Amino acid sequence: QSPGVSWGCHGGCLTCSAANGCLSCKPRFFFFLERSGMRQVGVCVSSCPSGYYGTRSRSPDMNKCTKCGLSNCDSCFNKNFCMRCKEGYYLYHGKCHVTCPEGLIPSTMQRECVH
Amino acid sequence: TAGPGQPGPAACASWCRCDGDGRADCSGRGLAGVPERLSAFTYYLDISMNNITELPANVFKNLTYLEELRLAGNDLTFIHPEALSGLHQLKVLMLQNNQLKTVPSQALRGLHALQSLRLDANHITEVPEDSFEGLQQLRHLWLDDNNLAEVPMGPLGDLGSLQALTLALNRITRIPDHAFANFSSLVVLHLHNNKIKEIGRNSFNGLDNLETLDLNFNNLETFPEAVQALPKLKELGFHSNNIAVIPERAFQNNPLLRTIHLYDNPLSIVGVSAFQNLSDLHSLMLRGASKTELFPSLAGAASLESLTLTGTQIGAIPSWLCEDLHSLRTLDLSYNEIKELPGFQGCFQLEELNLQHNHIQLIHRDTFQGLASLHILDLSRNEITSIHQDAFSSLTSLTNLDLSSNHFSSLPTAGLSSLNQLKLAGNLEMKGPLAPRHFPRLRTISLPYAYQCCAFTGCESVLSATAEDEGKTGVSINADSAEEEERIPLPLHCSPSPGAFKPCEYLLGSWMIRLT
Repeated sequence: QSPGVSWGCHGGCLTCSAANGCLSCKPRFFFFLERSGMRQVGVCVSSCPSGYYGTRSRSPDMNKCTKCGLSNCDSCFNKNFCMRCKEGYYLYHGKCHVTCPEGLIPSTMQRECVH
Repeated sequence: TAGPGQPGPAACASWCRCDGDGRADCSGRGLAGVPERLSAFTYYLDISMNNITELPANVFKNLTYLEELRLAGNDLTFIHPEALSGLHQLKVLMLQNNQLKTVPSQALRGLHALQSLRLDANHITEVPEDSFEGLQQLRHLWLDDNNLAEVPMGPLGDLGSLQALTLALNRITRIPDHAFANFSSLVVLHLHNNKIKEIGRNSFNGLDNLETLDLNFNNLETFPEAVQALPKLKELGFHSNNIAVIPERAFQNNPLLRTIHLYDNPLSIVGVSAFQNLSDLHSLMLRGASKTELFPSLAGAASLESLTLTGTQIGAIPSWLCEDLHSLRTLDLSYNEIKELPGFQGCFQLEELNLQHNHIQLIHRDTFQGLASLHILDLSRNEITSIHQDAFSSLTSLTNLDLSSNHFSSLPTAGLSSLNQLKLAGNLEMKGPLAPRHFPRLRTISLPYAYQCCAFTGCESVLSATAEDEGKTGVSINADSAEEEERIPLPLHCSPSPGAFKPCEYLLGSWMIRLT
């Protein structure tokens, strides 16, 4: 066991250190680098924060939070498919629009283009 | 006192952090049950990462405004059929990272407004037929990282509004015909990391709006012809399978394709017409299709920026290549059988060109004409015997040139002033000296012989020899002595570096000078 690394961590952490937080996660948890002031600290989560989505893989240490690829997206299913847009944008078929396609109107509350 | 989930005078239970606006965060508190005394107006409740093993009946009975409920990362094994009753406005339900063995179908029944349902990372082996009955609004469904042995076609049939579905990381072995027939709204389908060996010819019929299909990391042995039913497909992945042949007209019905990931397949044959008319294709990587002899047609691939086609028996590059591919930035045609190079004029955006390990013999005047953006050119391990003196003249941005292991005797230097790395090792016929001043920005150079390094790394005795030898080798060096004295200011690494047994003098080794 390398110096400074502990196995007695909480939540979804498998290994952690005082300085860097989680270093690796328990199976099925997503690794995410959280900004904490000037530092970045590792955390292990079961759902990724806003603006990120979880990618799963056969090797557990590859489960991580990945940034949504679409600008103006608050919550995405994968890199290119949005589920909820940021304020001022409207969702239609996985994309965030400033104005809705013809025949649809923007719903500000739902942040979606609706019929 | 208020029961679990019952509204109480206090806006928030002591375990939770509430923002007073309807959001309650009670995550990671070691709770064994749903906290009590939550505000009736709670619309967002996060009780993930606790130790809740069961959800009893009516536990959220009075949280009728709840829109998002997070229960991920607990130890849920059982959800009472009435546990979620009353949640008529619930849109997002997160149950991932729990211990569920089946889809809690009865508990889900009344959630008519549900849009996102996460059941990933459980131990689900069974999806009851009525699992998703009543979920007409569902758009996003996660069933990945479970124990499914087949596509739950029956239950999924109720989900006409579904837009995104992942069944990745399960034990699915085949996709039957018409498996997703009712999914005309589906945009994203992830099936990666299963054991899929067989896909029916009509498996993807009905997926008229599918844009992303991920079949990576499966056991496919033949190309999934079923993709021909996907007119809107933009992103297709089937890397890390066992596919040997990409058939003719493989993607003829997928005109919108942007990315195709097919690496890590034991490819041997690629149909010439497989990749035709893909005007949005962004990059294509084909490695090791060892029995492929003809360059696949890329007619219409005007958006292609990166092409890798290596390890084939292709002997010639078609002349039309740069007429079609004028967006190309990187081109890797290494490890083929190419003997003759066409002109690359039309590829004026080309930045990296790798032709390593072919059978190229001649570099003509116009071969690289007009490639003003080219940074990296690798021609190593060919059979080049002659290079036209103006061959590199227009390569004003070239920084890395690798000509090692060829058979030419002299290097034309016109156009090479931007180089910072030059590799010439292994050209045993090239015995003459090279003049440093043609390479003002050079940082690394490898040469056939150690004595050639002396001009670059300052062996005094050679400077006069270099001027004298110049006439014999035909390399045009301007013999102005002041300029000759000027050292390259930048730190430069030249190999093989001269030493005791690799003296600066070329002839007779001049042992006597070495000893005194």
